[in-house]
Amino acid sequence: MKNDLSAQREEQDLSQGDLAQAVDVTRQTINAIERERYDPSLELAFELADFFDCSIEDIFQPDQDEA
Amino acid sequence: MEANQTHSGLTRQTYRRLVYAIIGVGILGLFAGFILDQHIAGTVIYLLGAWIGGAIAFITPKLSSAKLQDERDQELHNRASGLAMGISMVLGLSLIPALYVLDAGGYVNLSGAPGGAILTASALFLLYGVCFGVVQRRN
Repeated sequence: MKNDLSAQREEQDLSQGDLAQAVDVTRQTINAIERERYDPSLELAFELADFFDCSIEDIFQPDQDEA
Repeated sequence: MEANQTHSGLTRQTYRRLVYAIIGVGILGLFAGFILDQHIAGTVIYLLGAWIGGAIAFITPKLSSAKLQDERDQELHNRASGLAMGISMVLGLSLIPALYVLDAGGYVNLSGAPGGAILTASALFLLYGVCFGVVQRRN
């Protein structure tokens, strides 16, 4: 799954640690999501969308071959 | 939208280092006791290391204000457990039933350490099956 989390975070001038603390996960998890090595749970995806005040689809998009 | 930028208390890195260090000291103590012929002392050091390290690993994430473990750790643990169990199952299921039959026929002798290992592996598979059934019922 592709995502724009890094761009969303940098747009808000937040560090990975700041975002991790805000959504109650570790910094390593945010890093793994941004590098597209880990797909978050639906719960975390909703939390991230809620945090950035957007929809999940604004942050996460399925890969072309998954769509 | 708000982000709390304060990071106080135990960090994830310190937590991991602490747990690994304590368990590592326990394992070293066990080997040292074995080499130096101080078996009781080695065993005591190992048990203390394993218990204290295990207790810290289990309790600290529940007490700490810092986020030391999260859903990704759980996912990694589940994947590693699944992989280990899958490999064990493939190897075990492809060999163990045949070995039991050959043992019954007197072609191989499953006694001593190999027999114990095979019995332990069989018990592990049985335990996995029971745990899988329990988890499946709850979900």
